[in-house]
Amino acid sequence: MDLGLDVKERNNWAVLSVQGEVDVYTAPQFREQLIQLVDQGQRSILVDLEGVEFLDSTGLGVLVGGLKRVRSHDGDLALVCTQRRILKVLEITGLTKVFTIYDSVDAAVGGQS
Amino acid sequence: MERVVQLQIPARPEFVGIARMAVGALAGIRPGLAYERIDDLRIVVSEACTSAIEGMEDGSNIRLRCVDAPKSLEVRIEAPEAAFESAFPKDEHEPDGDNFRISLIRALVDDADLRTTAGGAELCLVMNRDAASDEDDEDLPA
Repeated sequence: MDLGLDVKERNNWAVLSVQGEVDVYTAPQFREQLIQLVDQGQRSILVDLEGVEFLDSTGLGVLVGGLKRVRSHDGDLALVCTQRRILKVLEITGLTKVFTIYDSVDAAVGGQS
Repeated sequence: MERVVQLQIPARPEFVGIARMAVGALAGIRPGLAYERIDDLRIVVSEACTSAIEGMEDGSNIRLRCVDAPKSLEVRIEAPEAAFESAFPKDEHEPDGDNFRISLIRALVDDADLRTTAGGAELCLVMNRDAASDEDDEDLPA
């Protein structure tokens, strides 16, 4: 089971596109990538979840950890997600109130939620 | 007719995907569980196996026993009792902000029950099938 992680820069955002399944096996790679982005000085991180096929609480923990880390440097971490199954997990855990969630990368880097 | 499928996986992160794939495939064999509910079950199985792994020693195995009945699919996951402590704390306090596992387990299955067994504990997860599936059961080969 592979996890795809791809980083691009757009309008001062670091856009991290995640593809595949995020669980206890793949979450460490995802966590490491977010830590690396913050350590490199990125303060506006956008995690694109459109390519994610599965996400459980381990993945949610990585997202929350990333948010805390970047906020401690006065930055922010937002999400791109329109998939019903992923949004459902975010809703159940109350995280739709914690993260700004955009419909697309374009909407986020252009500032429209 | 009730069918039992048993699966044993090493208690290691790379095997959690196999457990949820197997349970997801089994859930789809008989009618009565929509795709969305099978997705919910896959998440809960992943949560339960992850919880078990966190409480088990390296080299241990997780046993899953799936009871596929006309009206329900039950997944029983056996592990040492301490393995499920994070998901089902003995004192029923509210989960802290980072403990999403218990919220997902409770929200996504029709019933979740932790039982003590001779070998430790068994987490029993139940998904009820739609009523229409009773009639379709006759189509399954014996």
